Amino acid sequence: MEEKKLIEFRNIVKSFDGQIVLKGINLDIYENEFVTLLGPSGCGKTTLLRILGGFLDADEGSVIFDGEEISKKPPYERELNTVFQKYALFPHLSVYENIAFGLKIKKMSKDVIDQKVMKMLRLIGLEGFEDKNTTLLSGGQQQRVAIARALVNEPKVLLLDEPLAALDLKLRKEMQYELKRIQQEVGITFIFVTHDQEEALTMSDKIVVMNHGEIQQVGSPQDIYNEPVNRFVANFIGESNILPGVMLEDYKVRFDDITFDCVDFGFKENEPVDVVIRPEDIDIVDVKDGKMTGEVLSVLFKGVHYEIIVETVPGTSVTVNMRVIKNQDVTSEDGKEKISANNFYVDIDDVEDLDDKEVIARANAQAWDPESDEYISIAKIEYEVAKEEGQYPVVFATSNGTKVERTIFVVDQPFVKNEKANEGIMAFNFVKTVDEITESQALDTDLKTWANAQGWKLSDEEQSVDISVDYEFDPEKVTEGVYPITFWTTGREFKIHTTDYSEEGQEVGLTFFPEDIHVMSRTGY
Amino acid sequence: MKRFSQLAWPYIVWAALMLVLPMALIAAYSFMEQGNSIISFSFTLEHYAKFFTDQDFLLILWRSLVIAVKTTIICFFLGYPAAYFIARSKEKTQNILILCVTIPMWINMLVRTYAWIGLLSEGGLIQQILSIFGLGDQELLYTEGAVLLGMVYNFLPFMILQIQTSLSKMDHSLVEASADLGANPVQTFRRVTFPLSLPGVINGITLVFLPAVSSFFIPKLLGGGQYFLIGNMIENQFITVGEWNFGSAISMIMAVIMMLLMMAVRKIEIRNQGGKEE
Repeated sequence: MEEKKLIEFRNIVKSFDGQIVLKGINLDIYENEFVTLLGPSGCGKTTLLRILGGFLDADEGSVIFDGEEISKKPPYERELNTVFQKYALFPHLSVYENIAFGLKIKKMSKDVIDQKVMKMLRLIGLEGFEDKNTTLLSGGQQQRVAIARALVNEPKVLLLDEPLAALDLKLRKEMQYELKRIQQEVGITFIFVTHDQEEALTMSDKIVVMNHGEIQQVGSPQDIYNEPVNRFVANFIGESNILPGVMLEDYKVRFDDITFDCVDFGFKENEPVDVVIRPEDIDIVDVKDGKMTGEVLSVLFKGVHYEIIVETVPGTSVTVNMRVIKNQDVTSEDGKEKISANNFYVDIDDVEDLDDKEVIARANAQAWDPESDEYISIAKIEYEVAKEEGQYPVVFATSNGTKVERTIFVVDQPFVKNEKANEGIMAFNFVKTVDEITESQALDTDLKTWANAQGWKLSDEEQSVDISVDYEFDPEKVTEGVYPITFWTTGREFKIHTTDYSEEGQEVGLTFFPEDIHVMSRTGY
Repeated sequence: MKRFSQLAWPYIVWAALMLVLPMALIAAYSFMEQGNSIISFSFTLEHYAKFFTDQDFLLILWRSLVIAVKTTIICFFLGYPAAYFIARSKEKTQNILILCVTIPMWINMLVRTYAWIGLLSEGGLIQQILSIFGLGDQELLYTEGAVLLGMVYNFLPFMILQIQTSLSKMDHSLVEASADLGANPVQTFRRVTFPLSLPGVINGITLVFLPAVSSFFIPKLLGGGQYFLIGNMIENQFITVGEWNFGSAISMIMAVIMMLLMMAVRKIEIRNQGGKEE
């Protein structure tokens, strides 16, 4: 089939109120294609469609339609029709009059109009509805009338702006088939805008994935699904396992410390890449047969398949002690001031970073007027710490001389290293009062701060790792004592879609074919 | 809705006492012989006969209807473009423009009408301006033109506000849809915008025509004694002549005429609804 270019977008730029919505779009659309513009809301897809329809002017660039520059033409002179998001049916006209609107404008004879409208009503399956008031039709019926009203003008292109968004799930599925059928029957180009990736995959010949006003990838649904060019596309289209890896040489990729055969080539040697494996491409097998092994963390029944999470690389964890003490504020002799502070732990490597501010923060030192509850500034701090393990006194005082003495523990804290997961984490014992815990607004975050918990990539210490926190005490009813707090990271998890059931906690092997590994360049994201 | 039906009671009582009862009394008076009271009721059609057999009365009725129709038409042609312009402006501008339209209504209508006497009278501002162009000897006050001017001036805001409301409520995507289907701006206005603004137009016509046809102080002040309308006639019967029964009969005739006219106007609106309702 010889394909003919119908629409060319040339470097389209558009901004609203200084915000750039389209950053130079270049796109060709051919005859008889079902093209979908796909992307999250705000990606510019509707703006591009409205520029094509003539309802918006581009700031820069040109639109070429059938070999002719149309950027300056008003909408009523363009040979294309639109199905609007909320249908925009004329409420003062009947179904028949709505469909006949464009034909009447063209001053066609009455019997020709009659014929064409009746043909359209048959196409959309609404024969016998011609005299109905459009406001009394169901959403699906209104949708069909909107399509008929556009198609009856025999445009070369039909633009559809999220036309199915307002329908319920079942009706939406029906209309997807219906639209595809109509497109094949009338044989014209459909340009369809949606944020629903499933809709796009079902209906399109060609999908244009957009994000932040830029085209990310153009291709057939199969291309887009199987060979996403970058992390955004892989994430947006379907569910996927995306993991960092290194392309050792052509057809060899290494991730999670294992080297795999793959079908990708053309990367630089040892180029860092992102690897995508679709959940349905992974099979669960016996441990001895697996390319990777892991533990089943969870099994969810999803109707057609199970969604199974397997952890191949365990996470990292570290447990520290939290000593809870009773409130221990010091009151000045005249009773007009109170001051409090805590002992704290500091790593030997961090000693040189300590300054007055840091010491106040770590000790959570504060002074206040017990009557008015107003804070009083801590005017004086005296401490002397050396880069050597040991205990060092610190004194906090207000300008009136109310003071409290505490201890800084300098320790040489070993961090927990997880070579397999390429990460290290560390945390410190700490001391808190009962009040500080019960009054905490966001305890997880506070615990991380108090323990100075941190995680990083072994390969790159600048890159931090997300840490979660577990504890077993009841923060509302905590009493004096010592409590273990565990900080941990999630390991490498694979999401797998399979029809076979697995037990949670089972050790399993994972296998996949070389062609199921999709390697994406990190540039261009 | 039913839960709130209790809330309508105060209005129902008020309407019964202040609207239905007086109307019923007027209707009763119109069929009563002169000097009768409700207790000694004696039926007659003589007041109606008197009205329809007297050429002068019929002429006054005709003149009132004609001037009300003229007022309505002028208000429509002045008001629609204004309303269209306001409805198409940005929201901020819209609010300011609507304020401009409504500000004159904050001042008593009677006061504003008196102001026109000053402007139109002999040696008044308007005559002075006209005399610059050599048109100074034109009689302005106490003419049909003056009455018409007064009515248009007083009732125009009602027309503008009604049309503007219905135009603002209109979904702009309908205009886009029309352009998309090949209609140029004139065709879009004729086939989409105007038909959809009709409810507002009809409300506007109602709100201008009704007070215009029964107005009595505008013709009295700006028309002087020369320009006698049906409203003045009713006022006269009640206040000067003291023929309450005849006055009531004229009021009833007016009410029936207005009701018929309004029913005719509503018909247009219903015909414009597009398609059958199930």
